[in-house]
Amino acid sequence: MKKISLDRIEPGMKLAKSVLSKSGMVLLSEGTELTEKWIERLQDMELDGICIDAPVEQALSQEDALTQLDGRFKLVAHHPRMANIKTIMRKHIESLYG
Amino acid sequence: MDRTLIPISRSKIENINALPTVPGSFKSISSFLEKPTISLEKIGLLISQDPALTTKILKMVNSAAYGFPGRISSVSHAVMLLGLNVVKGLLLGVSVFEIMEKMMSGLWTHSVGCAIAAREIAGKLNIKDPEEISVAALLHDIGKVIMILEYQQEYEETIREAATAECLIYDAEKTFFTETHTVVGMWLAEKWNFPRNLVEVISYHHTPQLSKLAFRETAIVHLADILVRGRGIGFAGDNFVPLLNNGAFETLGLSNDDIRDVLVKIEETKQVSDDMAS
Repeated sequence: MKKISLDRIEPGMKLAKSVLSKSGMVLLSEGTELTEKWIERLQDMELDGICIDAPVEQALSQEDALTQLDGRFKLVAHHPRMANIKTIMRKHIESLYG
Repeated sequence: MDRTLIPISRSKIENINALPTVPGSFKSISSFLEKPTISLEKIGLLISQDPALTTKILKMVNSAAYGFPGRISSVSHAVMLLGLNVVKGLLLGVSVFEIMEKMMSGLWTHSVGCAIAAREIAGKLNIKDPEEISVAALLHDIGKVIMILEYQQEYEETIREAATAECLIYDAEKTFFTETHTVVGMWLAEKWNFPRNLVEVISYHHTPQLSKLAFRETAIVHLADILVRGRGIGFAGDNFVPLLNNGAFETLGLSNDDIRDVLVKIEETKQVSDDMAS
């Protein structure tokens, strides 16, 4: 899921989250595939962006993410349980980079 | 390092409304929560009369931190579904959001991450009221917010000390103050008449073994905190992962796959947290 601004939406994108009005009413529900018509309507509303189905871009490079992971676990990595959690986390982080 | 500890007294913390740095909107909510006779109707009315609060509360209940199958589109619906204690907690959570953003950037994201993680763990364990755990996780660090409001300079120094000494903010607090954020948070939760299990989660999220009435809930938030910090989401005052309490972890009985699922879920944190800010 990724949030994008209205000028970047294109036909065929799918909503990962429903679009709500200010009062909380559902305008377009989750899973809707955007057509030209829906895009036009959305662009006429005061929205700061919509959420579409897409992999989230990672703020850090994989290398930096893993180095920082080591740093965060510095005080506890010698405990077997923490080392196990760290391993799961490392695999999880690697999976985010495909 | 030896320094004279800054005394933190319960009466001073309970009197936070007297602080000039506390925003007016927070003061009115704090005084409202103190009343022993809040009803669901009154709290629903208070929220629905404030469009900004309404939007924030609805965004929160429809986010991954709560995860209801359908959409909740009105305050009255949210109030009926969630019940008094959860709505009280949410009201407090979204109203400290602004203070957190201003005073300790990253603490809000950390809190939202913990709410999402705790909700996911509670779901895995088939806990009856997962929303209560989620709201407890959202508020677990409320003591830090009040400490930084009351002692801004000293608390910023505590954060720097944690970075220099490479220790947890919880341990650094003990070298600056007579009390830590867990005790400060406990006093506040009691002042606001929160239920006992929420008070215990706040008091013991670093020491779950001490919780007598809410061991499981406290263990969940303890683990949620560790996973969110481990993943580097938000900022809770230091950049280190606390040590997991073995008893707490064992009582939850989660598998490696369960933990991985929680990690996948907390990737949504930034989205939810940013969404609240807009």
